[in-house]
Amino acid sequence: MWTNPVNPNPYLPTPMRVLHAYYESTDRSLKTLELAFVNQQDRVRFFEKFNPGQFCQLSVFGKGESPLGVASAAWEGDFVRFTVQKMGLVTKALHQLQPGDSLGLRGPLGNGFPLADWKGKNLVIIGGGCAFSTLYALTKHVQHAQNRADFGELIVIYGARSSGLCMYKHDIQSWYQRDDMQVHQAIDVPEEDWSHHVGYVPDVVKQIAPSPVNSVAIVCGPPIMTKFTLPALVGLGFPPETIFTSLEKRMKCGLGKCGRCNIGSKYICKDGPVFSLAELNALPADI
Amino acid sequence: MTYLLKKSEVNQTLRAWTSKAHVYAPQKVQKYAQFLPVGEDFELSVEEPHNTRFPPKALFLPQSETLLKYNPQKRELESAKTPDQPRIIFGIRPCDAKAVTLLDSVFSSEDNPDPFWQARRDQSVLVGLGCDQPCATCFCTSVESGPFDRSGLDAILTDLGDTYAVEPLTERGVSLFENLTVASAETTQTIQAIQEKATREMPIAFGREGLKAHLDELFENEIWEDFAKSCLGCGICTFLCPTCFCFDIVDEVRKSTRERNWDTCMFKVYSIEASGHNPRPSRRERTRQRLMHKYSYWLDHTGQTGCTGCGRCVRYCPVGLDIRAMVRKSVATPSEVPHVD
Repeated sequence: MWTNPVNPNPYLPTPMRVLHAYYESTDRSLKTLELAFVNQQDRVRFFEKFNPGQFCQLSVFGKGESPLGVASAAWEGDFVRFTVQKMGLVTKALHQLQPGDSLGLRGPLGNGFPLADWKGKNLVIIGGGCAFSTLYALTKHVQHAQNRADFGELIVIYGARSSGLCMYKHDIQSWYQRDDMQVHQAIDVPEEDWSHHVGYVPDVVKQIAPSPVNSVAIVCGPPIMTKFTLPALVGLGFPPETIFTSLEKRMKCGLGKCGRCNIGSKYICKDGPVFSLAELNALPADI
Repeated sequence: MTYLLKKSEVNQTLRAWTSKAHVYAPQKVQKYAQFLPVGEDFELSVEEPHNTRFPPKALFLPQSETLLKYNPQKRELESAKTPDQPRIIFGIRPCDAKAVTLLDSVFSSEDNPDPFWQARRDQSVLVGLGCDQPCATCFCTSVESGPFDRSGLDAILTDLGDTYAVEPLTERGVSLFENLTVASAETTQTIQAIQEKATREMPIAFGREGLKAHLDELFENEIWEDFAKSCLGCGICTFLCPTCFCFDIVDEVRKSTRERNWDTCMFKVYSIEASGHNPRPSRRERTRQRLMHKYSYWLDHTGQTGCTGCGRCVRYCPVGLDIRAMVRKSVATPSEVPHVD
């Protein structure tokens, strides 16, 4: 009687296969998964849209979905990397996956970092804990020879509670040899054989005092770190329009429909997760 | 063109429609009317002045709905089928039809349209019944709607005693009501008078001018503390609300399906994060979210209030928390933010 246009089901995940799975921290709370696409057209579709700073919903069928930031850059290969902190039902199941196992992925979701607006700027990347994963994707993106000239200086400040919780160790170690970037790693309390900073990220930021001139700062970390780092950057002279952070909320659909991740009239899944401090200041304090 | 449909012929008309579509109409289950399929034997319940207890939103967004099936052994995924049955929904009140159009902005948005919602919307014809006897809990004219609001409707009925006046509003509406007597010019005037009187006599619950800006300024005010004190956090207001659309997504292990279920911002678990942090840890934040979403955030999204004044949250709240009184109290509370002239 009336026509029924067929729309794709946005809740249907893309089938994925685990390529590599390995622990990222000595306490085994963090595990990195590198996932390959089962269908090549899904891979093409994913990388057409992908931008560092975006996230995906990973599915373990029978357990549910969990939103996780992408920790790889497109040029690294035909895979997508995630670092998963074991927290609940789904992340526990994700930790049990072995190479060859199948799972589902929806994404990329969210806005990602506004890279086009950052062209020609110095980047000050500040991360703490496992939230560094999307900043790792950003750093990898910027490091690529084809992208590096788009940006000015690159400074990475990365803090973790202890050296055992530092992620992507071997790769980050190699960054110290690069002449196109500065790396500052910090842990909260002193340890033997630790030759980098000791202290909390906001203090390390104040100590390094990156210049706000022609710069943007990108901050991702636990709420307590973000809370104190944002004012530290403002104190260094960074205008709120040049400070960016990525927010977390409980999410289900990732498409701005299920309703739960709003701050005021913005949905973190759809309008974010990346916001400038200027944008955040205009929103109600519902964080 | 306006037509006349005798009330004595309504049941017969609905039954005739069942040959070409699924027909839904308000029918009583125990004491309360809800929208149920019309079968051989049914008793229509449209004469009461108040609305069905359960909002017809469930006809478009079922309380529980399968999104996909998974096969753990074969590693296969199968999308749930979108419904493809034509439907006629009879006797929907204008506030509820307006609510469906508001929800279109969420589920039929250009980016990521929801195929399940869209299929049901495309398949449905809405025959509305205007309200000439507002009840004490109705406040549609206070929120950009009205007892004869045409939004979302394919035809609207006006009660003339033993007859309904039928005004088809779309082609689909026209196709439903062929071969009826055409109303005389005099009757058409009577209908207009009934509709205008009903709209005029609907009490105004609160003024909306400057309301959004004022509420935004009250975000940190202690007024929310007062509302939260009597709220039980049961979520009835949101489940019965025709514009509340939040849902949860869960895997049903026994059925090997992924389902979405209605959810509510009135529950603590709704917003709690994996870390244990909850941006809305108490009922203060949660009652604020409900009111602010409807009277502020919806306006940012669509320019319209996310409430159609159906009054269900007022009528069925177990502790008598009245959203109209909440709005009035908010209006009467001065904001602490100094106004800049």
